[in-house]
Amino acid sequence: MAATTAFGLLGCGLLCAALLAALARLQRWPLRVRYAAALAAVALLLFPFGDVSPAGYVRGLTGDLSAVTLALAANALAGALRGRPLFGGRDVDALLAATAAAGLFLYPFALGWTPFDPYALGYGSIAFITALLLLTLAAWRAGLTPVVLVVLLAALAFLGGVYESRNLWDYLVDPLAGLYALVTLAAGRVRRYFSRAASARA
Amino acid sequence: MSARLKWTSLAVIALVFGALALRALEAPPAAHFAAPRSGAADASSKPLYKSQLLPNSSAQVHSATAVELADGRLRAFWYGGTREGAPDVAIYTSAYSPKEDTWSPERAVMTRELAQRQLHRHVRKLGNPVAGRDPAGRIWLFFVSVSVGGWAGSAINATVSSDEGATWSPPRRLITSPFLNISTLVKGPLLRLADGTLALPVYHEMLGKFGELLRLDGEGRVIGKTRLSWGKSSLQPVVVPRSETEAVAFMRYSGDPPARVLMSRTRDAGVHWSEPLKTALPNPNAAVGGVLLEGGPLVLAFNNAEENRESLSLAVSSDFGDSWRVARTLESEAQLPRAPVAEYSYPWIMQDRAGDVHVLYTWGRSRIKHAVFNRAWLEGGG
Repeated sequence: MAATTAFGLLGCGLLCAALLAALARLQRWPLRVRYAAALAAVALLLFPFGDVSPAGYVRGLTGDLSAVTLALAANALAGALRGRPLFGGRDVDALLAATAAAGLFLYPFALGWTPFDPYALGYGSIAFITALLLLTLAAWRAGLTPVVLVVLLAALAFLGGVYESRNLWDYLVDPLAGLYALVTLAAGRVRRYFSRAASARA
Repeated sequence: MSARLKWTSLAVIALVFGALALRALEAPPAAHFAAPRSGAADASSKPLYKSQLLPNSSAQVHSATAVELADGRLRAFWYGGTREGAPDVAIYTSAYSPKEDTWSPERAVMTRELAQRQLHRHVRKLGNPVAGRDPAGRIWLFFVSVSVGGWAGSAINATVSSDEGATWSPPRRLITSPFLNISTLVKGPLLRLADGTLALPVYHEMLGKFGELLRLDGEGRVIGKTRLSWGKSSLQPVVVPRSETEAVAFMRYSGDPPARVLMSRTRDAGVHWSEPLKTALPNPNAAVGGVLLEGGPLVLAFNNAEENRESLSLAVSSDFGDSWRVARTLESEAQLPRAPVAEYSYPWIMQDRAGDVHVLYTWGRSRIKHAVFNRAWLEGGG
């Protein structure tokens, strides 16, 4: 099995494990059982049943997962296993905001509605790398360590050719993360609006 | 965060982005098209035209492609199964001997199960294949696969043969789209670029319909791309270079009437493409095939109607696409024998080293037909 395949399957396995942990409300289980269940789930997800493992089925649908998706999945899984996530609050909000902004820039244009194709910038555009550097420095200055780490993880994976893609965008963001970020941010806004309205009435 | 850790992290950022910048600077610059073969136009020989059906056994077949082998034979590929999109659809191959004028028995090159096993991904069905040769002489076979949904959920895979198609490498997935890498398909011939890299015309079908030219490195990885068109009505590009910098791209049209073959031009080796314009040739939302003959005209194989695929013709242009003349009709109501289903589509046209022109196309959805002719026959069509 090629290294790119192994990394792709591991990423999909991690996402599935995080989703299963959330569905099973793993954090309510005894500590040892949590870890045992998580290990068993990962093993089953990567074990091929017939031609393809469950992670392979997911990979067929999602492709290889970006650093943002993996970071959010790892954060959720860590939260379920340890009782507290790796990062939260302001860091998560910043990561989601950056992901939503990237998605809004990338995906509508990638549908081919204009001659401009931002996805092509990911093959080695100095302008794109400069813009990403400025955003990373802004995050570093603001102390948003998880955002910086996600960008660095994506960049290192890209440089190492961890996936089949040679496009930096694929390592940074994917539609799952983009959609999750947009929905979570929108839901947060709606919740805040109704909470303010309730406070005003009281 | 401690001051030391903060400055260390800044140094890491500088190092990583330095490496990214270096990678971007090392990326191969835009390359010219490999110069097309130039030879004297020889229309003086006796007109030659012959045709036959390939020995395919599947109930339904479609989307033929071919490559010339080192020994002068032709190797064709197509997909076939009980019906389009069925799980039993496989990519088949057969070789044509010009000396004996016969096709070898078909054999499967890629099945859904094999693709699934070797790609380590769920694969629901297989689709269009495209064959081509790289500068090292290896044969590349690109083919469409779908994991979920219809053709809009397609991705492209590549397998390579170093022994003229006898054996094939495990396939590799081409990453072409940020949308979960779905909705990219292939139909047009592979092109060689002057620096040894390859260019593959592809198209997208999810929400928009538009063409792109992918640039591939020696291992078949996508290292760049250019948009050939945009919007919702152009697909299945076929790119035909005339020189190292000049080329035309023809595209199937799926928009509002009048239904015409679309054409776009580049004069800077594919860095920029003109807005696709309608040619005078009709197009019933069907694939076309194009080739520039050695020392001679541009030839387009196309369905000569706006509404159906019941006729298949050859148009010739002596001014590289500005004007066209319908030179021959390969299939029409008047031609016999007729296919049980009157559909003649997805032409693949190429010229071999001996100068003969080959057209492979879907004949009534149940067979692949091969027509071979020479310049004398083509130009004798009036």
